[in-house]
Amino acid sequence: MLRTSQDTAHFEIDPTRLDLAREFRHAPKGPHSPELRRVIHRMRWSGAGGRWCVVTVEPGVRWMLARLPDERFGEIRTYPETTFTSLNDAEWHVFRIRWEALTGNALPVEMD
Amino acid sequence: MKDSTKVIGYASPWSVAPGEDVQFHLSSEVLKSASARIVRIRCADADPRGPGIKVYHQPSPLDGEIPLASYPIHTGSFGEIPDAKLLTGLQDFSIGAWIWPTILTGGDQVVFARKDAATGKGWRLFINSDGCLSFAVSDEAGSSTITASQPVLIREWLFVHASFSATEGTITLSAESLERDGGRAQHVSLSARSTVSPVLNTATPLTFAAELTGKSAPYSRTGHHFNGKIDRPRLYGQALNGAEMRSIVDAVAPDLSDPSLIGAWDFSRDISSDLISDRSKNGLHGSVRRTPMRAATGANWTGTRTNWTAAPEEYGAIHFHDDDIDDAAWPEAQSWKVPDGIRSGFYTLELTADHDGVKTESHIPFFVRPPRGEKTADILVIAPTATYISYANNHSRIDQIHFEVMADGLIVLSQDDVYAHKHRELGASFYDTHKDYSGVCYSSARRPILNQRPGGYTFNYVNDTHLLDWLEEEGFAYDVITDEDLDRGGADLLKPYRVVLTMTHPEYTSKNMLDGLQTYQASGGRHMYLGGNGFYWRIAFHPTISGLIEMRRGITGLRSWEAEAGEECLSFTGEPSGLWRSSGRAPQRLTGVGFSAQVFDRGASYRRLPDSYLPRAAFVMNGLAEDEVIGNFGLRAGGAAALEIDRADRDLGTAPQAMILATADNTGAGGIPAPEELPVLYRGFSGEESNISRADIVLTPTADGGAVFSVGSIAWCCALSHKGYDNNVARITKNVLSRFLDPAPI
Repeated sequence: MLRTSQDTAHFEIDPTRLDLAREFRHAPKGPHSPELRRVIHRMRWSGAGGRWCVVTVEPGVRWMLARLPDERFGEIRTYPETTFTSLNDAEWHVFRIRWEALTGNALPVEMD
Repeated sequence: MKDSTKVIGYASPWSVAPGEDVQFHLSSEVLKSASARIVRIRCADADPRGPGIKVYHQPSPLDGEIPLASYPIHTGSFGEIPDAKLLTGLQDFSIGAWIWPTILTGGDQVVFARKDAATGKGWRLFINSDGCLSFAVSDEAGSSTITASQPVLIREWLFVHASFSATEGTITLSAESLERDGGRAQHVSLSARSTVSPVLNTATPLTFAAELTGKSAPYSRTGHHFNGKIDRPRLYGQALNGAEMRSIVDAVAPDLSDPSLIGAWDFSRDISSDLISDRSKNGLHGSVRRTPMRAATGANWTGTRTNWTAAPEEYGAIHFHDDDIDDAAWPEAQSWKVPDGIRSGFYTLELTADHDGVKTESHIPFFVRPPRGEKTADILVIAPTATYISYANNHSRIDQIHFEVMADGLIVLSQDDVYAHKHRELGASFYDTHKDYSGVCYSSARRPILNQRPGGYTFNYVNDTHLLDWLEEEGFAYDVITDEDLDRGGADLLKPYRVVLTMTHPEYTSKNMLDGLQTYQASGGRHMYLGGNGFYWRIAFHPTISGLIEMRRGITGLRSWEAEAGEECLSFTGEPSGLWRSSGRAPQRLTGVGFSAQVFDRGASYRRLPDSYLPRAAFVMNGLAEDEVIGNFGLRAGGAAALEIDRADRDLGTAPQAMILATADNTGAGGIPAPEELPVLYRGFSGEESNISRADIVLTPTADGGAVFSVGSIAWCCALSHKGYDNNVARITKNVLSRFLDPAPI
C-alpha cells in the first residue's frame, strides 16, 4: 500500500523572509527562486492553515474559495462570499492564510 | 453559477452506429422533467480564452420535455449462493474461512451469512462495530451471540471458524492468525450455550461479504458489507472444533468422499467471470455482484509465482469492498435510434431545466461511429474512452494530499467534482482508492461519469474536443470510433482510413488496441499521435460486458496506488498489467515517444532540431522560419508542451529511422520526470537542470509507405486555436495531416 502523508513536510519557514512572500505576490505561478519553492512546497504539502482550493463559478472568469476536508470523505466547504476574478489572486489569498498558520505572523496588509 | 448535476445519467452503449439504439439512464433528485435534445460536440471547453462551447443540435424525437425520476445507486460487492435443499433444515454445522480484513468501519461487516431478513432467523459470522469477530444465531424469539474480546488486525490473515449444534445447544467461535510474531498473534476460542434455533426451512441464499436486507428496489438487497479478502470459505454439516475446521479450510482440494462437506468454495476458479464455484460434490455454485476484486492472493500465497494463471491454487481469495460498483442499474429513461446518414462524432444528450432560479445544463455523452463496415471520411479519430473510463469521477485532487504540490498550484474544482465527492456512490476512478485504501482496479461506463463530458473538468474529454474543433475549422471530415470499438474490432477497423488520429491523452491501452494500431502502422497506415502520456498503462476490456475495464498499477510508473504484491495481473485476461514498458512495449515503440514528465506550472515551447531540415521531413515545418519557436502559447499553462509530455528514446524503442524534429526541453523546475525515468536517485533531475523532462516531435516512417507523427504533449491540441487558428502548432498539424492524406508513400 502506497500513501502520502501531510506530516512528511517539515521545512521550517523563516518568518522574517518577507522577500519571499513578495516574490510570490509578484508571480504566484512562478518561476520561483529555490527558497520560495521550499516555502510553497511546505505550504501545499502540509495543508497548514487549511486545505484551501477554489471552485469554478464561471469558467475562466470567476472562482470561489473552498476548503477541502481534513478527514477523508468530509464535506467540501465553499465560501460564496469570497470570490476571485483571477487565480493569481486566489493563490495569494491562500498564501496569506498559510503564511500566518506556519509562522504565527500575518503578512503586512500593504503587501496586497 | 450554472448547475450541471440536477439531472445526471449515462448512455449505454457508449458507441453506436446508425440504425442502432442508444439508451439513456437518467435520474434527478429534484426535477420532474427537463428539456432534452441531442447535440453533436465540436468544442466542449468553456474557457473564454479559447474557441468556447460549440455544439450542434441534432433533431430527434427526443426534442422537448422528458419526464425524470429519482433512482438510487447501491454499492458494495458480495457473493451469493442460491438456496439449496442441502442448506434447508441444517441442524448442526460449521463454517470456516481465511479472512484479511482491511478496514474497521465502525459498523458490522458480515463475512458469511445465511439469514432470513423477514423473520430474523439464521446466522452470520461478522466483524462487529467494535472490530471484533462475532458469531450470531437468531430466531423469531431472540438471538445468541459470542464475540471475541479484541478487534481483528487489519491487513493480516486470520483463520475464522464458527459452529452451531442444535442437538447440543451450543455455539462456538474461534480464530487463529497466520503470523504470530511482532504482536500479530491472535487466538480466539469461545463457546456458549444457545437456546435459539437458527435452523432455516425457508428459501434463503448464503451470502459472502454482506447479508440480505430482505428489501427490494429501490432499497438495497444487501447491507453490512465486508471490506477485505475472503479465502476458501467452507460449510460443513457437523459442529466441528476450530482445529478440525481449519484442516478442511486449508485443503485446497477438498475431500470429496466426506459426506458432511456441504460447500467448499474455490474462488480461484472462474476468476475471469462473476461465477464462484463449489468444489464439493454438491455443486452449490453461485456468483459475485458488483465486481469485487478477483485474482487476489490467498493466505497460502507463497510469492514464488506472481500471476494467478501460473498458480491458481494460491489465488483462492476475493477482495470485497463496501463501495464497489459496476453498474448503476438505472432503468432506461429514453432511447434513440441513431438515424442513417448522421455524421460520426462526439454526441451528448443535453438536458436543461430551471430549478429554484438556477439554470441546469447536464450532458450525457456517447459516440456515433460510422455505419458498420463503412467509412464516411478518410480521417479516423479514436476517442480514448478507456482513458475516460479510467478517469471516471476522479477524486484524487480531493483525497490525495500530494495533489496540490504535484499540480504546482491551487486546486481548481468544478461543480461536478464537488457533487461527485458528496455522492461517492457514483464510484471512483483508477486514480482512487477504496475506503480501505486498496486501489480501484475496475471501472465501468454504466454509471454517471461527471468529469468526462462538457463541463469544468478539462483533462481528457474537454481537451480532446479542441482537436475536433480544429478539424472542423479547417474543413477536415472525420469519423469517430472508441477504444472499445478498436479493442473488439482490431486493425480491420483502421485499415480503410488514410490517417488515424489519437487524441490528447490516450493513456490506457489494451493489448488488442495496441496490436490494432501497430498492425495499421506496419501496413502503410498513417498515425498522428497528437497528445502526451499515451499508451502507458496496460488494461483489458471485460470479455463480454461493454464499458467495463480493468487495470492493476504495478510498483513503478506514475501511480496513485500500488497493487498488493502478487496482484498485478488482470483478472479478466490473466495478462500482466502495469506499464506497457514493463511488458516490453514502451510507447516509444509505437509512436517514437513515451511518457517522460509532468509539467503543470508553465508550458514549454519547442525548438527545431537538425532533423527538421531533412528533405524527407521538410513538409512538416513548411511555412515556418528556420529558427522559429514552436508553441510558445496555448490554453494549458501557456505552452504547447505542457501537462504530460513524452520524449524519444532509442533504448526504449524509438525506431532507427525516426526523425526527431523538435524538442521542448526548457520545462524548468516544474518539469518533473516520471518515476521510471530515474534508475537511481540523484539531484538535478528537474527540467531546470536536465533535459530528460522534455517533449519531442518525432516523425517515423513505417513499412509500406506509412508513417507516425507524434507531438508528445497533452497541451498541443489546446494551442491549435491560438490567434484565430493562425499559429505554428496549427500549421504543423495541418502540414502533416495534409501530407498523410496524400496516398503517395511517405
